[in-house]
Amino acid sequence: MISLAGRDIMHSWGKFVFTGMGLGLLVGVTLSMAGIYRGMVDDAKVLLDNSGADLWVVQKDTLGPYAESSSMYDDAWRGIRSMPGVDRVANITYLTMQVRQGERDVRAMVTGVAPGEPGTPGWPPYLLAGRQITRGHYEAVADIATGFRLGDHIQVRRNMYTVVGLTRRMVSSNGDPMVFIPLKDAQEAQFLKDNDAIHQQRRRTAENPAFNRPGVPGLLDAVIASQSTNPYVNAVLVKVEEGHNAEEVAESIRRWKRLTVYTRSQMEEILVGKLIATSSRQIAMFLVILSIVSSAIVAFIIYTLTLGKIREIAVLKLIGTKNRTIIGLIMQQSVALGLIGFVVGKITASLFMAPFFPKYVLLMPLDSITGFVIVVLICILSSIIAIRAALKVDPAEAIGG
Amino acid sequence: MVEKGIRIEALKKRYGSGDTAVDALKKVDMVVAPGEVVGLIGPSGSGKSTLLKSLGAVIEPTAGRMILGGEVIYDDGWRVKDLRALRRDKIGFVFQAPYLIPFLDVTDNVALLPMLAGKSNAEARARAMELFKALDVEHRAKAMPSQLSGGEQQRVAIARGLVNRPPVILADEPTAPLDSERALAVIRILNDMAGKFETAIIVVTHDEKIIPTFKRIYHIRDGVTYEEAGEGRELG
Amino acid sequence: MKSLPIRTRTLALLAVIVPLLLLFIYVALRSGPLAPVPVTVVSVEERSIAPGLFGLGTVEARYTYKIGPTYAGRVKTLDVHVGDQVKAGQLLGEMDPVDLDERLRAQEAALKLAEARVQEAEEKQSYAQTQAVRYEKLLAVRSTSEEIATAKKHEQRLAEAGLAATREDVSRTRAELEALAAQRSNLKLNAPVDGIVAVRDADPGTTVVAGQSVVEVIDQNSLWINVRFDQVHARGLKPDLPAQIVLRSQLDETFSGRVLRVEPVADEVTEEMLAKVIFDHIPQPPPPVGELAEVTIPLQTLPAAPVIPNAAVKHIDGKLGVWRVIDGDLRYTAVTLGNADLDGQVQVKEGLNVGDQVVVYSENALHAHSPIRIVEHIQGVKP
Repeated sequence: MISLAGRDIMHSWGKFVFTGMGLGLLVGVTLSMAGIYRGMVDDAKVLLDNSGADLWVVQKDTLGPYAESSSMYDDAWRGIRSMPGVDRVANITYLTMQVRQGERDVRAMVTGVAPGEPGTPGWPPYLLAGRQITRGHYEAVADIATGFRLGDHIQVRRNMYTVVGLTRRMVSSNGDPMVFIPLKDAQEAQFLKDNDAIHQQRRRTAENPAFNRPGVPGLLDAVIASQSTNPYVNAVLVKVEEGHNAEEVAESIRRWKRLTVYTRSQMEEILVGKLIATSSRQIAMFLVILSIVSSAIVAFIIYTLTLGKIREIAVLKLIGTKNRTIIGLIMQQSVALGLIGFVVGKITASLFMAPFFPKYVLLMPLDSITGFVIVVLICILSSIIAIRAALKVDPAEAIGG
Repeated sequence: MVEKGIRIEALKKRYGSGDTAVDALKKVDMVVAPGEVVGLIGPSGSGKSTLLKSLGAVIEPTAGRMILGGEVIYDDGWRVKDLRALRRDKIGFVFQAPYLIPFLDVTDNVALLPMLAGKSNAEARARAMELFKALDVEHRAKAMPSQLSGGEQQRVAIARGLVNRPPVILADEPTAPLDSERALAVIRILNDMAGKFETAIIVVTHDEKIIPTFKRIYHIRDGVTYEEAGEGRELG
Repeated sequence: MKSLPIRTRTLALLAVIVPLLLLFIYVALRSGPLAPVPVTVVSVEERSIAPGLFGLGTVEARYTYKIGPTYAGRVKTLDVHVGDQVKAGQLLGEMDPVDLDERLRAQEAALKLAEARVQEAEEKQSYAQTQAVRYEKLLAVRSTSEEIATAKKHEQRLAEAGLAATREDVSRTRAELEALAAQRSNLKLNAPVDGIVAVRDADPGTTVVAGQSVVEVIDQNSLWINVRFDQVHARGLKPDLPAQIVLRSQLDETFSGRVLRVEPVADEVTEEMLAKVIFDHIPQPPPPVGELAEVTIPLQTLPAAPVIPNAAVKHIDGKLGVWRVIDGDLRYTAVTLGNADLDGQVQVKEGLNVGDQVVVYSENALHAHSPIRIVEHIQGVKP
């Protein structure tokens, strides 16, 4: 027995491959969409993983430091350090802002990391090139997604930093690349404004008679000095000692320090559940729409192909071909189309779409397998319309009037 | 012997019911012996197509009896169950147009039928080649249908009708697209095959070129058949 | 679609399908989470490193003299401008004496009056004394009564007391005059040392309170840099270490200096240690007070020891360590680290031997079973 479906495909292989490629682009877009969603979730996970923390201590009653702004004194860590079960603590600041390099600026999340050694919470856990920060000021480690290279001089607010190290996949939950600078410089960047604003502030303070009393020389200077310091950080990262339960340590910090503390799973929930919830809903909707569109297109294509063969099908029926064989012919063609589409789609998504998309696209093997199964199912189901048409054909059509 | 061959008795086919009922076939009697080629002539609307469809086990008659190849296939309401197998094994079709499957080469077009009947690919193709030789199209065996001329295609179609060696062949205007030389060649082949394999062949036609070759002709008018002796002109 | 004979068609189809399938398999294996992670590897070397300390500081003057009046008053003249060089004792400006000159004159007049009164008293006393002596003589010869003699004696004593009083009055008036004169001289603002005028706090005509500074003078030879070092990275900071100083306004020039002293009181709030660093030769022209300076203090070169780049150090499961490559597999090895230098090289005290292969850079985070692929440098990064 020969394969009717195979022969038909071979006979009009150009049409098939062309159609398959068109379908493949659709599949590629769908796979990429799924990849974008996974990428977003991975961005959030990676942010939490890379911080090297088990607990996040933030301003009371905020969802910070990623989902909401959080501000706390930078000496709060001392009290936390002394609590049982705490292995390491480190202050950290986050600020998403424009970082200038030469003529261009890049949107980045500037992260202030506490001085110390590699392994301090907040430090990038692995580098692509260069080294970690050794000096207490004016050095930076940047993610390559910023486009910066080793040795570049970048400007963050009022100071210039030299890029001494490069990282990969250090991103904020939004996908913005991170730039690590020493904590003190970051504190200054976060709270000290540019020169113009500082002038204005000093002028205003000087004009205020309460601060500029003639009988008290030095008062104005003292007030201005106090305005120029900033003792705040966005969060304290805590690493829990081996053998201690993170939630227990979190609870004791909550109780005794009256601060808000999140464990790793709670942070994930906040990020994935709140921060990217809207985006993930959008993507889910797109996926559903794409799947429906793909099904409709496949159904339409197969139906058209079948109608084009309707006379041959009538003849086949007349000469005694089993219904099963005819169904097989149509369904096999549909599945073959799906296979071509899937292969083209996977290749397109991996080689041409994912690397060039501005956000991180994570194509997981599981998604591909699921996608494959869904594509085959869609093809089989879509061919039902065509099959019904084929079965309804009266073999008598072959015998003219 | 009429055990093989075709025997139709008092066949009737009514479409619709009640006031709007139409009797496409009122009373059809036909007998075709194995090895015999008879013509079936009738104007359109005479019930010709209905008769063919009934013979081809494509539609079910309303009353009467049909025996094909020695098997009762319809008897007053009763009908043989597996029409597909019937069509596959017992009836060969030759149509006005070749209706070859465009994505199979001509050999496989013909070999498809024995394959469907369970024969091995090699045997099926061998049979096809045998017929091609007889029909003088073996040099086109590996070509695709679109590469053949109209006449060659028709001959392949005839080969397809014959390949399963059915006891009955129904040919519907097989010479319509052909010129007179080719048309006579087709009739010659049909006669040869009929003689060789003891096939009963009914040829529906209004082609003046070939009508004289029939020894017996059935006319059908208003759903009723009338037998007539034909010229029976010899073919060269 | 013109169809080809079967064999050619099959070949053509294979020519399309096979590469497609191969591409597909390549994509499946190479991209995504199944792919091996590119890493770079370095051998542990025996090297001697020179650690260094890095801090930010501001240029300050060791001594700043804020010169102003000891009494509230108005500034009369200020003869110097910011940037002027002054000598010790030079008159820089003057406060308005207001009525001080008049009061001085009044006091001088009062002194003269007091002196005149002394003269008058002396005259009285002399006459009274003469009278007392005469009447004593007369009493001796009984030419007068005792009462008159006693009265004359009494007058004499009165006159002496009166003289003493006026003499004291002169002292007092003179002292007051000297006080006013001292005040008068204090109105002059003099430079206490050689130096440069740094700030003019009040212009002539401004009223200032006692203690308020009118002009500030600094000695530019006493410029030093007040440097802050993160306490975490301040090991080995002590006096007399050589220092390299880079001024904000002259980033391409490095000045040499040394640590003068390490402050006994650190900054508790900012967690920094403070030190004073002085220039070996103060740059000319001298940098302004308040300019930022970056100070690097190279410490003594340490003896050779196994050294790894700090990019190789990881902290996993509570242990500081590195990923070693043994026969193409990864193994996490805990290490104890020693000193580090400012270029990112850090000594390994325990855990690694010279020649061990250690992962430095990787494209992804590594786990114990990550498949790895050793490369020269990570793609996309120029060395």
